[in-house]
Amino acid sequence: MKVFPEDLLYSREHVWVRVDGDMATLGITDYAQESLGEILSVEFPEIDTYVERDEAFGSIESTKAVVDLIASVSGTIVGVNEDINDDIGIVNSDPHDTGWLVVIEMDDMEQLDDLLDAAGYHDYILQQEAD
Amino acid sequence: MTWRLIPYQSHNAFQNMAIDEAIFRETLKNRKPPTLRFFGWHPAAVSVGYFQDVPKEIHVSRCRSAGVDIVRRITGGKAVYHLDEVTYSLSAGCWERRFPNDIVRTYEIISSCLARGLAGLGVRASLAETRRKAERTPNCFSEPAGKELVVDGRKICGSAQIRSHGGFLQHGSLLMKFDPAGTASLIRSGEPADELRSRAVGVNELVETSVSTEELCEALQRGFCEELGIDFAPGELTREERALGARLIKKYESDAWTLARKKDGFPVD
Repeated sequence: MKVFPEDLLYSREHVWVRVDGDMATLGITDYAQESLGEILSVEFPEIDTYVERDEAFGSIESTKAVVDLIASVSGTIVGVNEDINDDIGIVNSDPHDTGWLVVIEMDDMEQLDDLLDAAGYHDYILQQEAD
Repeated sequence: MTWRLIPYQSHNAFQNMAIDEAIFRETLKNRKPPTLRFFGWHPAAVSVGYFQDVPKEIHVSRCRSAGVDIVRRITGGKAVYHLDEVTYSLSAGCWERRFPNDIVRTYEIISSCLARGLAGLGVRASLAETRRKAERTPNCFSEPAGKELVVDGRKICGSAQIRSHGGFLQHGSLLMKFDPAGTASLIRSGEPADELRSRAVGVNELVETSVSTEELCEALQRGFCEELGIDFAPGELTREERALGARLIKKYESDAWTLARKKDGFPVD
């Protein structure tokens, strides 16, 4: 079973969140990248776009599917990972760090309370696989 | 468990994609049972995957001079020249427990249904192995992706999927007869027709007596029923699906969507 960093929070949509003040960095989890297979493209939102929690903020393409990227928190997009345009492979190879996707300036920090910690996310995956 | 079946009909490319998106959205919005739809393309068309670069990967002027429409799908995957084939679309929510929340497994299940249907016609199709690294070709029928259907190594059905808002839509083109010359002429894969000929094959190139579109659809329907233990109720589009489809056609007909993937200006909710 994969190890998920303890300093991140996780959504049930397989997106991780790193919190720094009111800034949230989002990316897909190692579990998600493995499920997707080889990732070919990422469609980012425009900077300054407002995204709602649980709504799509972009999409990601693997070999045979397009999958929505679901925002874990509401807020304004203030950064996207331009490095991915040069090397899409980092989303597969280093999803929890250099393969981050976007930074959101949050407007409701209480939404973080609904996310899972590493142990909770680990249990959630086990439960999904058992279903 | 009863699913809805929309029986085979031919439409133009823009209508086909608008209908499928409307069915998909309404399935998720109203938590409806899955819908399987069979359809054809009239006139012939090239459909491209959601992320494809049309000017770079398709011979746009050749398509236009040949009267072949170009349409961008919302599903992923690569370009398909739709001519002599049966296309299916399957829309389902993740609450449909026959399909796990997993791309590859969903492919595997649907391909198993199709393979079972084809076996009823005497066509022995198998599921391609999953490879970690895909080739960079713009042509769907240049190579099989993992769990797609092949017959003796030649691809017979190309499929593509979108997962969104708690459900998925999967498209697939099941070839009746492969047209390598047309494909090579319209899709910029860099592979000549002679090379493509060994990559894909249609049902009617494998059977002694040609099967009709109706016979193929019936066989595929049986494959789903037997593999999944379900029944189909033939149906038609609801009023809401027709209305939404009519609005979505404007998106699919537009160059902004087809050439540049611009979604703005086509409100559907």
